[in-house]
Amino acid sequence: MTENVDRETYSAARVRALESLLIEKGIITGETVDKVIDFFEKDMGPFNGARIVAKAWVDPEFKERLLADTPSAIAEMSFPRGMAGAEGENMAVVANTSEVHNLIVCTMCSCYPWPVLGLPPYWFKDPTFRARAIREPRKVLKEFGLDVSESTEVKVWDTSAQIRWFVLPERPEGTDGWTEEQLAAIVTPESMQGAAKVAVPA
Amino acid sequence: MQIKFEQFAAASMLGSSDSPPRDNGEILFQRPWEGRAFGMAIALSKKGHYEWEEFRQGLIASIAEWEATHCKDDPDWDYYLRWLSSLESLVLESSLISEEELEERTSQMLAETDEALPQAS
Repeated sequence: MTENVDRETYSAARVRALESLLIEKGIITGETVDKVIDFFEKDMGPFNGARIVAKAWVDPEFKERLLADTPSAIAEMSFPRGMAGAEGENMAVVANTSEVHNLIVCTMCSCYPWPVLGLPPYWFKDPTFRARAIREPRKVLKEFGLDVSESTEVKVWDTSAQIRWFVLPERPEGTDGWTEEQLAAIVTPESMQGAAKVAVPA
Repeated sequence: MQIKFEQFAAASMLGSSDSPPRDNGEILFQRPWEGRAFGMAIALSKKGHYEWEEFRQGLIASIAEWEATHCKDDPDWDYYLRWLSSLESLVLESSLISEEELEERTSQMLAETDEALPQAS
């Protein structure tokens, strides 16, 4: 490596060199690379789930349809390619209420509902986490800083290739009159896994 | 089950030492070149130039190599530098590009960067 060029400048030049050569030789196109990046940054991610949650909060009829038939309710929304298709077709939503708190676990992260939740956090795939979440969900939630009262039932859902669950969290107080966009901005992936509640930023 | 290649590729890395940095469920690119290197590696495998597992194993080895010579909490740790080095090795190994070509083009790119910048001593 050239020692007298700083590492950042060198890395950026190296990447440009690689890409320009691969394109020149017709091995890939710049658009192929753009598409891969877009897939992760724009098409698929927790921003989709947040929009679904926000819509369900402001539109009770949509919420009803979402809980009854998740894929067709999601199909009503104008999402980019893939959302209502293969990855999304087995999705099912469970709603948190004052009586029930839902938590999602999974054994294979390829079954995680990515189009709506984005990439799972590192602890999600950990076998210990999954085993403990099933055995003692209340304790695990407490470790996440979420105290679920004894009067609230905790349900654990194992997401799989058959059904990929995600949680409709409770709308926090103090958000009356908020627009869907404002609401979507406060919905976190953790809240859609049931590992956290949605909070209004101070 | 039908899943997109991009999804398969990223899923295979999760929970392993080669798991990419992410923030709130989104892949995190901190410098523009990281995204290009990430996209290129997946695109090349998607087009069949190598198996995704081959890339992953190279990346895992490159990470292990770094860790063997550095402390775990060394602030110099840079995931995407490991990524770039594995991508480079695999592209050369797969004979998609020759080493000479790559060196020459890198020098050209560096020269262009110099020209674009104000005169430095």
